[in-house]
Amino acid sequence: MAVHGMLPGRRLKIAIASGKGGTGKTFVATNLAVAIARTGTPTALVDCDVEAPNDALFLPPAATEMHAVSVPVASVNPEACTACGDCRDVCAYGALRVLGKSVVVFAELCHGCGRCTDACSTGAMSEVSHRVGEVESGAVPRDFADPGGIQLVTGRLDIGDVKAPNVIKAARRRAEVYSRSVTILDAPPGVACSAVAAVHGAGMLVLVTEPTAFGLHDLDLMVQLGSDLGIPMGVVINRDGAGSADLDRYLADHEIPILARIPFDRSVAEVYAEGGLVLDVHPDAPGWFADIWDGIARLTLEEE
Amino acid sequence: MKTVVFASGKGGTGKTTLTAVAAHLLAPAGRLAVADCDVEASNLPIALSAVTTSSESFSGGAVAVIDPELCHGCGVCLRACRFDAIIRPDRNQASSVFSVDPWLCEGCGACVPKCSYGGSITMHERTAGQVFSGTSAVGPISFGQLGPGEDLSGKLVTEVRTRAKAMAEESGAELLLIDGPPGIGCPVIAAITNTDLLVAVTEPTVSGESDLLRLIALARRLGVSVAVVLNKADLSVSGAGRIRRLVAAEGLDLIGAIPFDPTLARTLDRLAGGASADTLLAEDAPGLLAARDVVAAIAARIG
Repeated sequence: MAVHGMLPGRRLKIAIASGKGGTGKTFVATNLAVAIARTGTPTALVDCDVEAPNDALFLPPAATEMHAVSVPVASVNPEACTACGDCRDVCAYGALRVLGKSVVVFAELCHGCGRCTDACSTGAMSEVSHRVGEVESGAVPRDFADPGGIQLVTGRLDIGDVKAPNVIKAARRRAEVYSRSVTILDAPPGVACSAVAAVHGAGMLVLVTEPTAFGLHDLDLMVQLGSDLGIPMGVVINRDGAGSADLDRYLADHEIPILARIPFDRSVAEVYAEGGLVLDVHPDAPGWFADIWDGIARLTLEEE
Repeated sequence: MKTVVFASGKGGTGKTTLTAVAAHLLAPAGRLAVADCDVEASNLPIALSAVTTSSESFSGGAVAVIDPELCHGCGVCLRACRFDAIIRPDRNQASSVFSVDPWLCEGCGACVPKCSYGGSITMHERTAGQVFSGTSAVGPISFGQLGPGEDLSGKLVTEVRTRAKAMAEESGAELLLIDGPPGIGCPVIAAITNTDLLVAVTEPTVSGESDLLRLIALARRLGVSVAVVLNKADLSVSGAGRIRRLVAAEGLDLIGAIPFDPTLARTLDRLAGGASADTLLAEDAPGLLAARDVVAAIAARIG
C-alpha cells in the first residue's frame, strides 16, 4: 500500500459520508482507519454519527477519558425581568416568549448566540451551561493498528437532546488535540446541519453508496453538498453485484472516481454483524482498502 | 385515525422497505395515507412510485451577508459571532474585507448591530427545504426535502406530518404510516412524538443492537409505545439471540422476524408497478411472507 502524500507535517482529514443510512459508512471508516494505521501513519478516527455512534464497537479503545459537551442556554431571572420583550425581539429562533409578567425560555430552540443577554436592559437574562452530550476518547490497542496506531474519538448525543452539531464539533475539537497525520471523520447519514458539521473543512470526501435506486437518489444529494462545499470526492460502491449501470453512468457524468467496489458477500455482513474487522477476515479486504487509500492519496495530491 | 411510525436508530435496517410493504398490504383493508419523514434522504416516494402533485418551499432561518463595498475590515463581527462563521480577510490578497461562511452561520444576527459601519451586514432569509404532496397506489403521500446543510429538519418533519394529517383527513383515511429518519435526534423526535405505535426495525448486528437501545430510551421518554421487528434475522444467530434478550429485558414485544432476503427490493418494485400482493405471496417471496405476519401483528396492536 502506498504511503504517498503523507509527508511529515502533512495533515489530512477524510470524511466518510452518505446521504442514505446503512450503506456502510462505519464499515468503511473503521477498516480504512486500521488499513491506514498499518502503513505506519498515525491516525485518528472520529465518530461523528453522534445519534447512533458505533465505531467503538468495532475498535474498542483500551482506556478512555470522557468529557461532557455543554452549550450556553438563555436563562431568565424572574426577579429582575420586567417582561419588556426586548430579548424576544432579538431572538432569531423564537426561543423566548413573554408569558404574563415574565419570559419563558424554550431551551431546545436556543442556539446560545448571546443576543438576548446583550439586549436585556435589566440584567435579567444570562446564559447557563447545559449538557447535550459527551465525547469519549482513547487509543485503540496497539496490536490492532500497529505501527501508526489509532486514536478513537466518539461523540455521543444525550438521549432526548437535539444539539447533535454541537457534539460533533466538540468531538472534532478533541481529535485536533491528537494532531494525527490522518483524521477520519465518520459522518452521520443525511445532508443536514449534522452532516455539514462532520464534513466541513475535510480535505477529502469518501461517499459510500449502494447500487440501488435509493442509494443513487441519496448519493446525488450528498454530491450536491460536497460540490457546494468544494471538497474532492470519491465513491465506494458497497454491496456491488446486482448491477450498477445507473450508478456508473451517474458517476461518469459527474466525473466522480470510483475508489473501490466492495462486492455483495454475505460473509462480509456476517463478520460485521458480530463486530468483527472484515479487513482481517476476508481475503480480498486488504485490497479494497489499499485501493481506497491510494485513490484518496491521488485525489488529495492533485488538489495541491 | 391511528398513526404508526417506522424508525430504527441505525440506518439501512429496512424502515422504508417495511413501510412500503406494510402500505401495500394494509391499503386494501382500509383507507391509508403515508408520510416520509426522512427529509434528508427521502426514499419512500421512490419505493411507492409516487407521483408528485404539488410542492411548496419551506422557508426558515437566515444567513448573514457582508457587503464587501461597505466593510471597512474592523473585525468586530468576528468577535460577535459565536459560531466561527466570520472569515478573516485573506492575508495573501490586498483586500481587508471580512466575509461569512454560510455553512457555519446560524442566522442569529448578533453581528448586525455590532458592525461599526452600520448597514454593511444584512440578514437574508434562507429556503430551508420543500414539502411535497403526491399520490401513490396505496393512498396520498407527503414528503419533504431539506436543503443541503440546513438545520430545520425537525420543523420540516412537523410540516410533512401536518400535511399528511390534512390529506389523511380529507381522504377519510383510518391509518397514517410514517417512514421515519435514522438516528435519535431532532427529526426523529419530531417524527415519533404523538404516534400510536413505533415499529422499531432492527438487525442482528452490534450496531443495530446499540442503536435500538438508544431509540427505545428516547421513545420511553416521549411516551411512545414500541414494538420491535428483527430484519435480516438470519444474518447472525448470536446477534439475533442478543436482540431477543434485549427486547424481553426491556419488556417489549418482538412482533416478527424477517429473513435476509435480497429479493425484497424487487418485490417492492413489482408492487409499485401494480402487481397485487396476493400474486407475489403466491410466488412464495420469503421476505414478503414474513413481512405479512409482521404487518398483521402491527394491525392487531393498533386495533
